[in-house]
Amino acid sequence: MLPAHGSISALVACLWVFNVLLDTGGQLAFKAAAGHPEAGDGLARWKHMAARPWLWLGIGCYLFEFLVWIAFLSLLPLSEGVLLGSINIVAIMVAGRFLFGEKLTRMRVAGILLVTLGVAIVGLAG
Amino acid sequence: MKRFYLFGFLLLMAFDTLSQISFKYAGDSALPVAASIGWLTRVFSQPWVYGAVVGYVGAFFTWMALLKHAPIGPAFAASHLEVVSVMLLSVWLFDEHLTLPRVLGAIAIVAGIVCLGLAESREHVAEPADA
Repeated sequence: MLPAHGSISALVACLWVFNVLLDTGGQLAFKAAAGHPEAGDGLARWKHMAARPWLWLGIGCYLFEFLVWIAFLSLLPLSEGVLLGSINIVAIMVAGRFLFGEKLTRMRVAGILLVTLGVAIVGLAG
Repeated sequence: MKRFYLFGFLLLMAFDTLSQISFKYAGDSALPVAASIGWLTRVFSQPWVYGAVVGYVGAFFTWMALLKHAPIGPAFAASHLEVVSVMLLSVWLFDEHLTLPRVLGAIAIVAGIVCLGLAESREHVAEPADA
């Protein structure tokens, strides 16, 4: 039933990339939904968000990510999986920098490099 | 108040840890992975997947409550440090091994998360001075 080892790791890599894309896409969509300047307050704000695609795009990304993550974790040890999943933190910060012009201070760059290094150590060994 | 934050951070970590462990149990009992209705049925027909949902919902509300009161830097760090608790628990629950690459990787990742938490703290302390 199980495919050969090579195709399992290809599937794991695919699911890992999908997870990063969906997590980052979902967060950015929520950010776009919440950050609209004319949205107003309270119920009006929620109505404004519900009438636009961003909120729904974010929810869709998260639902799909939920399934991708279950599939991903079932193919490798949990301790390895959660460590590899930490790359989401980096992806969101980098995307925030490019799409919303958020500042990358020296401390943030150090954090991003360290998390990336950790993921690389685990990924290259596993 | 300090005790309140600490309790909140631990609760957040506990919910996140519950989610990840539930995801692993749910995925393992739904093998083999396939883009099919069969796989989806296997995932949703056992209780673990709902444990993951409980963990998510619990983490969401804990996070929201924490953000109202707690400093953002430590809150950010706490929301990502479940990698450590999940790693330790997976040795016990899933007979996994703390191999050298995993330990080194975890140390680098935790150091990175602490840096990012410190970056958030500084920015928010510095804000009133800018304004």
